[in-house]
Amino acid sequence: MSHQLGRVVSVILQRYFGENVQKVGDDLFTYGSKPIALLVKSTGLSRIKVVESLRTLLKYDLAMFEPTPNEVIADYRLIPENVLLMIRYPRYLLQIKTKYGSEAEILIEELLQKACSTATVLLVSIAVKYKDDKEKNMTIVKLKDIFISLITAGYIQQASVAELKEGSEIPTLVPVATITPEIDVRAVIKIMNSGNLAESSDNVYWKVNYDRFHQDIRDEIMIKAITRRIDENAGELLRHMLQHMYLTSPAWAAESTLVPAVELREACLRAAADKPLLNQYFDQYLKVLGRKKKSALRVTEESGCGTVRADAGGRGYSVRGAGAARGCLLALLEGLVTERLGYKAARIFRIILDKKYIEEDDVQKNAMLPNKECKELSYKLLEEHFISLQPMRKTASAGGMNKAVYLFHINLHDVAHTVQDMCYKALGNVLRRASHERAAHARLLDKQRRVRSIVHGMRLRAEPQQNIDDVEETLTPSELAVLQGVEKRLKQLSAAELEIDKNLFILKWYFMYTH
Amino acid sequence: MAGRGRGRGGSGLSLTTEQIQALGVTRGDNAPPTLVPPPLFPKLEKKPLPLICDAATDYMLIVKDQFIEYLHESPAFVKVKTETDGVERYSDKYKMLALDAKQNKLLDCVWVNMPTELRPQAKRPRTVPRKRKLDDPEEIAKRLQTLEKKETLETDEAIDGKKKELNNENVDEEEELEDEHEQEYELDDGTDYANNYFDNGEDYEEEDDNLDDGPVY
Repeated sequence: MSHQLGRVVSVILQRYFGENVQKVGDDLFTYGSKPIALLVKSTGLSRIKVVESLRTLLKYDLAMFEPTPNEVIADYRLIPENVLLMIRYPRYLLQIKTKYGSEAEILIEELLQKACSTATVLLVSIAVKYKDDKEKNMTIVKLKDIFISLITAGYIQQASVAELKEGSEIPTLVPVATITPEIDVRAVIKIMNSGNLAESSDNVYWKVNYDRFHQDIRDEIMIKAITRRIDENAGELLRHMLQHMYLTSPAWAAESTLVPAVELREACLRAAADKPLLNQYFDQYLKVLGRKKKSALRVTEESGCGTVRADAGGRGYSVRGAGAARGCLLALLEGLVTERLGYKAARIFRIILDKKYIEEDDVQKNAMLPNKECKELSYKLLEEHFISLQPMRKTASAGGMNKAVYLFHINLHDVAHTVQDMCYKALGNVLRRASHERAAHARLLDKQRRVRSIVHGMRLRAEPQQNIDDVEETLTPSELAVLQGVEKRLKQLSAAELEIDKNLFILKWYFMYTH
Repeated sequence: MAGRGRGRGGSGLSLTTEQIQALGVTRGDNAPPTLVPPPLFPKLEKKPLPLICDAATDYMLIVKDQFIEYLHESPAFVKVKTETDGVERYSDKYKMLALDAKQNKLLDCVWVNMPTELRPQAKRPRTVPRKRKLDDPEEIAKRLQTLEKKETLETDEAIDGKKKELNNENVDEEEELEDEHEQEYELDDGTDYANNYFDNGEDYEEEDDNLDDGPVY
């Protein structure tokens, strides 16, 4: 638990939930697990506020509790990873929208907002919200169908159920396997018309399955990488392989079970009938995917070499998730070095990566850079902890020159941790800067928001354009100019958050296989 | 000795020619006095690559803003009690209206999954009616008995033991914390480290001095 992680978590909580929740979250992060009484004392907030903050944290799954030896009170603990996941919500929604359409996206959005809800409540609230929107045309039946399809696809799962162990008043949450529910459409419609949500006898709670989304993102990364590296047909091939893989092995296995080549070929023949090249050169493609060493094509984007491995007889192929993660991480590191220190430093980095252990002079020879520059860049790389030094003592006879040779090498695990810390720091800075901008221009932003809502209301009531212009003119041109600048900066910072989150995803994916 | 010291010069009092050269001041020019304050941030050597700004990112940003708006409106956003400076303002009327609308909304949670202390009814832990110890005549008799024993055996540990027994007879566990607190208090009375002996010093309660100045005309 690094200092930077604590800082990011703190800023995210402040942005999403306000300062009280931020204070409670900070405290929990620093001290681990704490009961309510200690929290009240250390944060200085009133007990009611602490209780409300804890409710929020528990509802959105950002904290967990465990019973203390005194069975009535619970100890609360923050879950930093879930706090970081909040940045990724828009990406999930985009994913669902491209795959299943906008109604499914609305469903998932509602479920994300509610964090955990019964099916009835969910469907009713969406139907009520979009009742007036004629173009969407939502019916309970359609919603229910989409809901069931999302459950079977795995995007929605059943929430953990509370079990009371004997003698304790604190429930323990037990995860439950997801079973497709039977939703009585007529009961739902009745509740919607009556408007009383408390009537439903539905007791099964649902929540979003983040893991499934992560799976999708990972597949997308792998396929995009292969498509960029080789070509589209290879991407198609990988997609089919992944589909087969999901039938047999667990999603995050380091290496999946074997997919027989014959099955794969048949599947490709059936599905990609418009890609004759794929079927013609099927075997070649498989071979290329499996090549461990990088091909002659120098690519600075993501690479996914070593993704597929053939077994001895060539009868089956397996997808190596760990290899793909490693490949993506290396591409990420190279990109990072290029952006920070220039393409020459990236060249040095690649050489050291290739040769594993190499002396300083040899680096200069291989990189074909002027001596001074090469030394300067390699020391800069060392400074930023991208490479590390390994001393080797050439023990000459006693009395002779004990020359210690220093070899450069890359410890991928350590470098990955350094980069992760860098990402946390960057994310923390971005969010902090955004909140500073918002605070500095709070009055102006508030005014703009009010003008917008008033104008919107006036348009709905079809007031004359003159009145609308009058209201809009309360924002002077200079204010407008300032606001435009502020909005542009905030938008950039927001986009930066999403970018950093992409990198964090790759890093986390890599760490899944090395721990 | 002299040779080795040349690089370091006169122990920091003045710089040698080598040091001046290293600092970048050549013999020719005199460093002009800088009148401009140094820049706030160091110059970026390499500009970062431009951010991806396509339709997908725009959509994601809009979605994110909507989500945050929703959270801010919901009871999940725990409001800080802002201090007013006691001045009545025109906007107070509207602020009160907005506040009252959101005041009593309870966050919608699955109460079964949360520990009892977080649920709405358990929010007031101290107003549970406590069983007064002396209501029961049996309890009174017991208490008298124990007080008699207390007089006979005059050891501290015996007293503590009896007190703990009395405390344990109370079923309500939430009182346990408070009772332990009381116990600690009583322990303090017998020792030398009681509060009476603390000397706050002369300056402790003399902060009011400045308030005596009164308005200056």
